[in-house]
Amino acid sequence: MSTSEPKPESEQSGQPAIDLGTSGTSAATGSVPPVSVKLPAPTAWPFVLAFGLSLIFAGLLTSAAVSTLGVFLATAGAVGWACQVLPFERQETTQAKAEAAPVFTSRPEIARIQTLPEMQRAWLPIEIYPVSAGVKGGLAGSVAMAVLAVVYGLISQGSIWYPINLLASIVYAQPFQLSTRHLDSFHPELLLVATAIHLMTSVLVGLLYGVLLPMVPRRPILLGGLVAPVMWSGLLHSTLGIINPLLNQRIDWMWFVASQIGFGVVAGLVVAHQERVRTRQHMPLAALAGIEAPGIVLEKGSKGEDL
Amino acid sequence: MASDAVTIPSSTRLPQEAEGTWLETLHGWVTTVDHKRLGLMYIGLALVFLLIGGVEATIMRIQLAVPHAHFVSPQVFNRMFTMHGTTMIFFVAMPILFGFANYLVPLMIGARDMAFPRLNAWSFWMAAFGGLLLYFSFIGGDGLYGAGSAPDVGWWAYAPLTSPAFSKGHSTDYWTIALLVSGFGSIGTAINILTTTLSMRCRGMTLGKMPLFAWLNLVMSGMVLIVISPLTAAQIMLMIDRYLGGHFFDTQAGGSATIWMHFFWIFGHPEVYVLVIPAFAFVSEIVPVFSRKAIFGYPVMVAATVGIGFISMSVWAHHMFTIGMTSYGNAFFVATTMAISVPTGIKIFNWLGTMWGGKIRYATPMVFCLGFLFQFLIAGLTGIMLAAAPWDWQLSGSYFVVAHFHYVIVGGILFALFGAFYYWYPKMTGRMLDEVLGKWHFWLFLIGFHLTFDFMHIPGILGMPRRIYTYEPGRGWEGWNMIVTIGVIFQAAAVLLFVANLVRSYFKGAPAGNDPWDAWTLEWSTSSPPPAYNFAVPPEVKSRRPLWDLKHPEDPDWKYE
Repeated sequence: MSTSEPKPESEQSGQPAIDLGTSGTSAATGSVPPVSVKLPAPTAWPFVLAFGLSLIFAGLLTSAAVSTLGVFLATAGAVGWACQVLPFERQETTQAKAEAAPVFTSRPEIARIQTLPEMQRAWLPIEIYPVSAGVKGGLAGSVAMAVLAVVYGLISQGSIWYPINLLASIVYAQPFQLSTRHLDSFHPELLLVATAIHLMTSVLVGLLYGVLLPMVPRRPILLGGLVAPVMWSGLLHSTLGIINPLLNQRIDWMWFVASQIGFGVVAGLVVAHQERVRTRQHMPLAALAGIEAPGIVLEKGSKGEDL
Repeated sequence: MASDAVTIPSSTRLPQEAEGTWLETLHGWVTTVDHKRLGLMYIGLALVFLLIGGVEATIMRIQLAVPHAHFVSPQVFNRMFTMHGTTMIFFVAMPILFGFANYLVPLMIGARDMAFPRLNAWSFWMAAFGGLLLYFSFIGGDGLYGAGSAPDVGWWAYAPLTSPAFSKGHSTDYWTIALLVSGFGSIGTAINILTTTLSMRCRGMTLGKMPLFAWLNLVMSGMVLIVISPLTAAQIMLMIDRYLGGHFFDTQAGGSATIWMHFFWIFGHPEVYVLVIPAFAFVSEIVPVFSRKAIFGYPVMVAATVGIGFISMSVWAHHMFTIGMTSYGNAFFVATTMAISVPTGIKIFNWLGTMWGGKIRYATPMVFCLGFLFQFLIAGLTGIMLAAAPWDWQLSGSYFVVAHFHYVIVGGILFALFGAFYYWYPKMTGRMLDEVLGKWHFWLFLIGFHLTFDFMHIPGILGMPRRIYTYEPGRGWEGWNMIVTIGVIFQAAAVLLFVANLVRSYFKGAPAGNDPWDAWTLEWSTSSPPPAYNFAVPPEVKSRRPLWDLKHPEDPDWKYE
């Protein structure tokens, strides 16, 4: 987005440009006669009260005499302050003179932000999947991944609980305090944690697929089902040793990649089969961002549609 | 046409009373309840403490410039870092931000004064006396009749270091009562700003038309009310422990040192946002004026600020990852800390969006804001690194953390604050600050800042602990520390230049006029400096930029808001 070169006022609005600086013409209001203004009267009592309170505290560290003086001053300050505002606030009257001081602008010209018809820009997809598509894809992918993980558990450890307990270890450190035999057994709290992690992550990744797939018009399943899982696995493989070395030791990366691909393919297929909806991408960024300015939104009371 | 849009009679300063004696002048300032004078007093107080805190920092950096240095004793070094931290947070940053809020909020919302002018005066004096009490510890730290010593327990004052067994004499007590007293003042000011913005806006200024500066200070004040209370409670508990036999923080007697940490950081981390939100407010006013565009995404900016206010209340224990919290605790505080970067990021994008396509003027206020934008972004990124618990386990208590939060406080808040000085000084004094000196100030400070705080990250990563008195050579720290100290020289020179500019411009600066920046908010419609009553007739507005409406009657904002 860019601004156009400032044009003379008359060219933009059809009205004569105003000369604010040179001719002395200004957009100020008319003069106002002198008025009496009432302001709060100055007073030392807040100072006295603050000083007294400070002395009360200081006396705790120095001498009772200091605190005693503080109590006296604080009491005087509080009473004096109260007398300032009760029964009526004490005020002083000042004469205020208001006059029509000129209000100038050194830049009377207004440049407009160009809107879409005059610009070349990349178009994002004009149709995308609804949020529900991502949720459905994520949940379907989560089932596929869970099946593969359970198969892995049965084959490698003879237990379906092993991968579940491992997954829980992302936020729950207890599995590493257990032996492999314990990791193979059922722990209800780990099942709850693992289920929550699995569902939450799957739905979030499903939503990501819903957003990303429309941007890949060619072979979205290849990207979502193969390329993205392999890249994600590679990233994790290279960093997990630093982030969580204990978990890293227990991961079978072949099965990890297989389960990621399983998730990706199923989630991608489900998302890709959902019905697409039109976006508001045809609207200018300024309108999407809620900028209220001429040329983007219409004036109140005028007829017609906003851009 | 203009009168359709706004009604802003300009005020003319009437001839003031004849100059009195210095005693009468002093009396006038001591008894004043005028929000502008009190704002200036807050700013003046903070500038004095800024110089003191700067000297303390310089002493620390000289001590750490080379290995095995003995520029000061270990005891003095401990006092320096304690006093530096306490001074900069409680007696520089908070008063100076309160000062700007005091001065500007009523002007921006078209009010004649704060809602509670006398409470305003009391709050200022509480802050001032709190600062005096803190520094009185140099004389009375061991009691009136002993040799003095300042607090030396760090600005967090962790238990059990503050227990009588480890902190004899009164130095810790002076730290405690100083924060107690100034804390009461902060609460008073927060109540005042909240009430003023909610109930004293001029006609037509709905919350949706309030300047962002006022909005952000409203959020900041709400946060102060919430976060000062636990700190005050903890200070009272500490006094009870030290003098009345309490055991709140005494682990051996059934108390908990960790409780102090929770109390302190429930205050301490939101406090960072209490300080940075007013800095956001400065930037949100300055960037649009110098980009010649209205702020991008006003409603989102307000929502992001409120979001930051809420989320910041739930991040405190990321300062405590190393105490051994549960995995759930760690995960929660990692998540909330990461989450706060979202509304903060929104703000960064919106400021960039404001500049995008604008006709940018690189005047001194704007260049300081550009420095703020870049440095605050970096500070946010290192903040995200430290928000990850495993990373924090490695770097907690190292100079990396010191570098990170100085990036926030100096690179973010102080840069924005300098921008605010250059922007509003003309309004406060009627004189322009010198632009040439201002640019020198900017570049010197920028160079000094980056020399100091960029390179401070590296010894931190190499394992240099914070608060260390000195170190052995050969650990790879000495070169970096020397560069860090050299940076301080640049910063000190820049600050001295700034102070010289403030003083020189007050007497010899070019006259500012009412509206030197061609700006849009109400404070620029009155004289510079404004009269005691601010506006002869309360103004009426119809949009967020009333002066724009006045200057561009053919294209007023109110047609579209």
